[in-house]
Amino acid sequence: MAKKLVDILEEKGMSLNLQYGGNTPAGLAEREIKKEPHPRAKKLRELYFNALSSVSVEFPYWYTRKYQELEHEIPVVRRAAALKHAFSHITPVIWPGEKLVGGKAAYYRGSFPMPWLSEGFFMAKEDELYQAALSKGGASADEVSKFGAGGGNVTQSFGNVVSIAGKFGIRAEEVPALLKLARTWAGKSVDDLGHKYEQMVPEYSVKEQVMRSVICMFDSGYTLPQGREVINYYYPLQYGYDGLIAMAKERKARVAGRADGDGLIGMDRLYFYESVILVLEGIQAWHLNYAQEARRLASACSDPVQKAEYEEIAECMEWIAHKQPRTFREALQMVYMIHIAVLNEDAISGLSPGRIGQVLYPWFEQDIAAGRTTEEEVLELLECYRVKMTCIDCFASMGVVGGVLSGNTFNNVSLGGLTRDGRSAANRLEMLILEAGMKCETTQPTLSVLYDEKLPEDFLLKAIECNKTGTGYPAWINNRGAMEFLMKQYGPEGMTLEDARAVAIGGCLETSPCIWLELTLNGKKYWVPGGAGQPTSVGVHFIANPKVLELVLFNGFDHRTGEQVLPPHNKKLETYEELWETFKEYYELVVDCLVKTNNIQHDIWRKQNMAVFNSLLKPDCLDKGQHIGNLGYRYNATFNIESCGQINMVNSLAALKKLVYDEKKYTLEDMREAVLNNFGFKTAAEAGSFSLAAQEKRDDADTRFDEIHSDCLKAPKYGNDDPYADSILQEYEEWFCAMCRKFESLYGRPMYSCQISVSTHGAQGAVTLASPDGRLAGTTYADASMSAYPGTDRNGPYALFESACCWDHSQSQNSQMNLKIHPNAVRGISGSRKLLELTRAYLRRGGFHIQYNIVDSNVLKDAQQNPDKYRDLMVRVAGFTQYWVEIGKPIQDEVIARTEYEGV
Amino acid sequence: MPEPNMKGCKVMDKAALNHNDCRNFIPIDVAKGICNVHQKEILTDGQICPKFDAMPKCKHCANFTEPDEKLIGRCLGFGDNYWTFGELKAAVCEHFRGK
Repeated sequence: MAKKLVDILEEKGMSLNLQYGGNTPAGLAEREIKKEPHPRAKKLRELYFNALSSVSVEFPYWYTRKYQELEHEIPVVRRAAALKHAFSHITPVIWPGEKLVGGKAAYYRGSFPMPWLSEGFFMAKEDELYQAALSKGGASADEVSKFGAGGGNVTQSFGNVVSIAGKFGIRAEEVPALLKLARTWAGKSVDDLGHKYEQMVPEYSVKEQVMRSVICMFDSGYTLPQGREVINYYYPLQYGYDGLIAMAKERKARVAGRADGDGLIGMDRLYFYESVILVLEGIQAWHLNYAQEARRLASACSDPVQKAEYEEIAECMEWIAHKQPRTFREALQMVYMIHIAVLNEDAISGLSPGRIGQVLYPWFEQDIAAGRTTEEEVLELLECYRVKMTCIDCFASMGVVGGVLSGNTFNNVSLGGLTRDGRSAANRLEMLILEAGMKCETTQPTLSVLYDEKLPEDFLLKAIECNKTGTGYPAWINNRGAMEFLMKQYGPEGMTLEDARAVAIGGCLETSPCIWLELTLNGKKYWVPGGAGQPTSVGVHFIANPKVLELVLFNGFDHRTGEQVLPPHNKKLETYEELWETFKEYYELVVDCLVKTNNIQHDIWRKQNMAVFNSLLKPDCLDKGQHIGNLGYRYNATFNIESCGQINMVNSLAALKKLVYDEKKYTLEDMREAVLNNFGFKTAAEAGSFSLAAQEKRDDADTRFDEIHSDCLKAPKYGNDDPYADSILQEYEEWFCAMCRKFESLYGRPMYSCQISVSTHGAQGAVTLASPDGRLAGTTYADASMSAYPGTDRNGPYALFESACCWDHSQSQNSQMNLKIHPNAVRGISGSRKLLELTRAYLRRGGFHIQYNIVDSNVLKDAQQNPDKYRDLMVRVAGFTQYWVEIGKPIQDEVIARTEYEGV
Repeated sequence: MPEPNMKGCKVMDKAALNHNDCRNFIPIDVAKGICNVHQKEILTDGQICPKFDAMPKCKHCANFTEPDEKLIGRCLGFGDNYWTFGELKAAVCEHFRGK
């Protein structure tokens, strides 16, 4: 029987040290905090657990039909008319027991493809459109991405259900229509048209190789062209849709035929306002169709309670289709519908509600004061909202939905932070949002606390209590650090300190620019925060840092694909400085070709597929009369460059520096040979596990690489307050953050660094050979950007914090730190206080983000063996929480392998 | 056993219909849904019952013409005479004309 790495190390007296502060107790430890949902929410959540990810072609059919009809129309009007047609015709479905209604499609976990963005990847593998996508490199990440086999994922076809992209099910009878729609868009989609023009970039061939080797996970221009941003609900909440239509009509008349000094896009205002009117009419019809359906159900219902509920739904939808909401329930229903409408307008992950507890506070406050509702009723609605948000699926390719998102959609609610005038912004409704998150444990919306020293202790302890449910939320964000980043990045666009205080997190943990707007309800005025910037899901996503280092070692050649990815550097790499310089050169080469090609993809998107509804929601599109593509938003410098696997890269550089350059124990050739031979181990795929400890020796008799592997594993590692490794991280960060700003987005704004892994550390680890830090081929990288590689943080959390904070996090949009803590380590009120102090310790040192998996690793191992017993088990993966059974094995293995803290 | 009420169906072959063709069916996903009459979960591909109430779909619409073997045909309801498919739900289509 093949020996496992963990046993080999044990024999040598070395430990991977997967626990710190003690040993994991035997048995399965329960989580300390466990609450029950409201019966209504529980029933609806059960329905979710039982529902498959399902797609229908209703929306794309109606959209395409109108779009085709208006061939000669102005693009923005053509798109708006198509959206109106689609919203007006999708079938409304109301599930029994719902108080909040609506959905992306006519299934409980419904979604639909948008072939106008990209049409090739969901075709059958033998189909020419799929093959064309593969040859472009865009589908390469699909080949190495994995979904969890359980939950609602339709990984295989059955009966009259056809599996698409390994996750979604479609009725067999709809497939011919889907294929017909896809073919309609062939050559016309953003993907195809962008591809035509990106080939004109001189470095295009490099980009194609980069995509095929999965150094980059995906093109952002047509896969997820929007998202990781904070939505803004203000305008419909303030004016109602009738008010907005009246406003657009009045402004349309004012600007028609006038350039008003802007000879380039001044005239475009007319078309934008016309498109606003069309889209809003479609949204109104969509609401009214739900009202009609509720009336139909009410008329057929004999149960008086259910009948009354249907009638309440009808009244609510009829009112908010036209007017400013009157009650908390109407406001919540409205913001939910706005959210879904934006998600139906474009393929988006990471559309964050933002500080919704502060946005909806006016209705909460006035309803409670007037006795129109109770906190119990509000809590019930908030729990129902959690279930509805959890039902949101995003249709995209396997590489994106599986390899990047792990099936999650990152609708992040931010809590706390500061008011416009610098006081604590935490409020009573936010306490209820936390309570709903504890009672009704669901993946969406995830929660983030904008930690500020001014936040009250009871609020912070409530958030800690929520952490102890083991849901992985809330994440903790450094509010002042986030504001500092915003001021640096958006100062040139006019960001003030007041508006920096409106900050919220978009997507997993993307610091996003927001502003305050004054809302009036029944004569009382409130300042409410909301998104004011472009998506941050855009730019270059994600670069596999260890893979770039691998190409440096192998002169630009990828041994996995057998292709020359980057031009040979032909350097001898005789000094560490030469190695580091070559790494930077290669990295910039990769970024350069990706920035140029993605700029083209996004430019095609803004010309052909611009947001209309999302645009009108955000300042200052309605005022300027310009959509997102014409820089209608207040803040536009949001494009970023995302890295992945940087800790493995830092550790690998440390090992090379020490073993090859400083001590000269091995030559670079020795290291190359060991890496190519995977240190004598099987590949991760052969071993059937993607974590380091479980890797197996290829041949016990082959001991050629044992010593070098031991030395690589023993070399200095990040996460131990060791200046040898940390100085490499510091040098990398100073270069990386500055390097990103040298590149310019299509909007003519500097790009910036984004340091999160989402789930790409699984897929990108799968394509990477062994690395000089001792990591083995195909195994998952360290998660996040500040987490230690599993088992290598040997000096406890405070040493890890020292390492992580050796650089200025406010240079980057974010950084990310995950810690796994055994539930016993934080039991009781003293445990809660310890956890809060731990959190404070990191954030006070300047860490940007920290979050916790408070879970017993034994439970995760048991769940991997017995998934049927754990349908509701959730874990924190990266900046999001996901159901265990819906996560692919590479990420499951990595979460299990993370160092577990038995004491803090 | 009483026969299903086929009123509103252009397709008269009850064997060709499933629960997804019924107005009382609330789909959960592509495989199952809830029968609003019997208040229980059922598989989509089950036999329809006497309480069947035809769901407006293109295949039941008088404006649906020239269907091919995959039930893709043409819609005469709008001015564009665009293609459509028989399974498309038309509960909120302003031009649906039941039989």
